[in-house]
Order: sequence, then C-alpha cells, then structure tokens
Amino acid sequence: MNDRSNQPETVLHVGDVRKVYGNHVALDGVSLDVARGEVVAIIGPSGSGKSTLLRSINQLEVPDSGTLRVLGENIDFSSRVSASQLLGLRRKVGMVFQSFNLFPHMSVLRNVSFPQERVLGRSRAEADSVSRDLLERVGLAAKADSYPQKCSGGQQQRVAIARALALEPEIMLFDEPTSALDPELGLEVLAVMRQLANAGMTMIVVTHEIHFAAEVADRLIVMADGRILESGVPQQVLESPQTERTKKFLSAITDR
Amino acid sequence: MMELFLKILVAVPTTLLVTLASFALGAVIALPLVAARRSRFMLVRGVGKAIIDVLRGVPPIVFIFVIFFGIGADLIRWEPLPAAILGLGLISAGHLSEIYRGGLMSVHAGQYEASAALGLTGTATFAQVIGPQAFRVAIPGMVTWLISLLKDSSIVSTIGVVEIMFVANQSARSSADGLMPFVIAGAVYIALGTPLAVLSRWLEKKLSFGRSA
Repeated sequence: MNDRSNQPETVLHVGDVRKVYGNHVALDGVSLDVARGEVVAIIGPSGSGKSTLLRSINQLEVPDSGTLRVLGENIDFSSRVSASQLLGLRRKVGMVFQSFNLFPHMSVLRNVSFPQERVLGRSRAEADSVSRDLLERVGLAAKADSYPQKCSGGQQQRVAIARALALEPEIMLFDEPTSALDPELGLEVLAVMRQLANAGMTMIVVTHEIHFAAEVADRLIVMADGRILESGVPQQVLESPQTERTKKFLSAITDR
Repeated sequence: MMELFLKILVAVPTTLLVTLASFALGAVIALPLVAARRSRFMLVRGVGKAIIDVLRGVPPIVFIFVIFFGIGADLIRWEPLPAAILGLGLISAGHLSEIYRGGLMSVHAGQYEASAALGLTGTATFAQVIGPQAFRVAIPGMVTWLISLLKDSSIVSTIGVVEIMFVANQSARSSADGLMPFVIAGAVYIALGTPLAVLSRWLEKKLSFGRSA
C-alpha cells in the first residue's frame, strides 16, 4: 500500500501462456509482468500473437495453458475459469477495440452510462454525471446526445475509451485503437491515450504507431510467431534491436 | 351490396383474432426454436433445425387439417378456432425463428466482445445489447410475415372458422352476387394489411438510431 520502494506493485502477471488454433501456434509460452502505472506497447507483424495475448488478459481468448494474475485474481488456464472469476477479472480490466464497438442503438451518453448501471449498480443520475465528466475529459461533452453513427471514427473511439474508464478499471487494454482511423483522427485518440498515461493509468497497447510507442511507452515489446522477441526501453529496442526478425520488422514500419 | 359488405365486415374481428393470436403464439414459440438452432450442442441444433424445416415445409392447409381432423378427432375434441390458431401459430414459429436468426446474425461479433469486456452478464448482453439490434433488423421480415399471415388465415375457413373468407364463400354460394363477395373480401384484406405496412416503415424509422438508411 505505502510502497515507496523502487519496485512498484505488479498488477498483471502472465505466465507461460500457450494458445494453439488447429496447427497454428498463436502464443508459444509468453510471460509478461506489468507494474502499476506502467505503459507497455506491443508491436509486431500481423499473426505475431500480440492481439491474442492482449485478448487473453481479459479472457476474450482462453489460452490452452498458462497462468494469469490480475490484482490478486488468480487464473490457471488448465482448469475451467468460473463465471464469477471471469466477471471479477473483467471489472478490473478495461478494453478498447480497433473497431470501437459502441452500441449503435444507444446515444453516446447511454453508451457510457448503461454499463455503469449494470456492472457497478450506479443509479442513472450517478452514472450520467460520471459519464458527462468523462465525455468532457475526452472532449466530447457536446456529443452526449448523438448516436454513434453521427460521430467520426475518432470521436467514436474516444467515447469507447470513456465507456471503459467509467467502470474504473485498474488496467486498460488497447487493441490497435487507431488502426481503423484516418491519420488525423488517430491523433485525437492518441492525445487522449497520452493524457491517460500521464494520469498514471496502467496501459497495454497493441499498436503500429511507432512514434507514439517510443514517446509514451515505458516499455516496448516486439512479438513474432507467438513469442516475445524483445522487451525493453523503447529507444533501446528501436535503436539497437537484438534479433534479425526485429530489425526486419522495424525497418518495414519505419523506413516508409 | 351493402348487406354483403356488412356481413363480411362482421367477420373481420375473427380474421384479426386468428391472425394476431397465431402471430403472438408463433413469436413466443420461435424463441426456444432460435435458441435451439443456435445452440453450441450439435444434437440440439439438429433437432431445432428439423422442427423448423417441418413447420415451414408442410403446406399450411395440410397442417391445419392434421391438427383439426387428425388430432382433433382422435385425441382431444376442439373447436375450429383454437385449432386454427395453434396450426397457424406453429407455422409462424417456424418462419419467425428464421427471421429472428437473421436478425441475430446481423449483429456484429464486436458487440458481444464489447459487452463481455465491459463485464456485462449474458442476460444483460442479450436483453439490452444484442436483442434490440437484432429486433430492428427482424422487423421488416416480421411484418411481412404478419401481412401474409393475415391473408393466409383465409385457409382456416376450410375447417369452419367463420372469418372473412368463410363468409364470402358462403355468400357466393347462396346468392347471385357472382364474384362480388370475393372482390369485397379482397378489398377488406387490403384495407387491413396496408396499415401494417405503414406501421413497419414507421417502426423501422423510429429504431434507425440516427442511421440514414
């Protein structure tokens, strides 16, 4: 609690996680520890397993084996995960998707308020007041009564971030949050994410935004073929990659 | 002429009762059918599919005859009206379950994922996220079915339900009005069906959630 040592609390531990689809090995024994307030960026070619890893953390994918510990919630993938464990886990972890996945039949305000009412048991008035604060923070107070279809992709993604934050998660997962956006609209999403990182949120971001990763992340992880190839301070990984595979991938995303 | 029209008009409530009651019955029975059809157990899926195929595959008149004359004669005695509602209700269940399924399939997988990631329970996800979106897509199909049910309810005249077609038929046989009873019956069906089409368009628009389509 009053931890003043140099070792901040580990909020997420992923231990030797494996996942096989047919004869494709998506995750080949991946382990990862994330400290409170840390921002981890994961890059890698498509099919490298980075999204599968992220989705394993909140159990949208169920790995074949391995362990997961999220703030005291212990899960062993070799045995069946109970429904209450699952809900407990998901309450601690928020997620933002590439395709936003807002609820199209609800206004922006309802999108942010409805999960609070259902998951946290807040009254509508309470939830709406939290929602309006958050929409203000992501610069969308004026859009509260609009439907998602009337918002740009960048605005929708910022609503999705507000919706996840409204449940007060301890960890936020971002699965290629800007990949479906025009570069300019991506910037407004990255700005919100930067603000969130500065506020001390623990974040794991799967992304192709190498500049964002270099600037905001505390740690950069490079994945390929279901494994972590490199992990370290972004500048160091980007400037002196240790493997040929990483060099090749980095030149593909930076030298264009 | 006026007398004929009034005679047919008196039968309208029965046509509406048969139509709406069998639609309501079908709309409810369709729910377990679509659940079975989407079950993760192959056996349950197979049974659901078989039931739906039978309900949709047998001509309505055969279905009604089997229920009224077959089951009605041997097992339980019943009036034409409940037999008609049960028969058309079951047929409706078969069609509506497939219309529901189409609606459910139209909902993007991301909606289930977002609901799960937010920690919503399965019930909340279905009732408040998936259901409303599927329903909107299902409305045109449901109303189309309701309109054809309104017309097809005329076949229950064959088992003696005194609805529009029964009265028209009776009048045609017992008078020299020729085709007139059927022309009037046709006009009455159109007059009953048109508001339904209007209702459908209104509902769709109301549930468009800001989409322009």
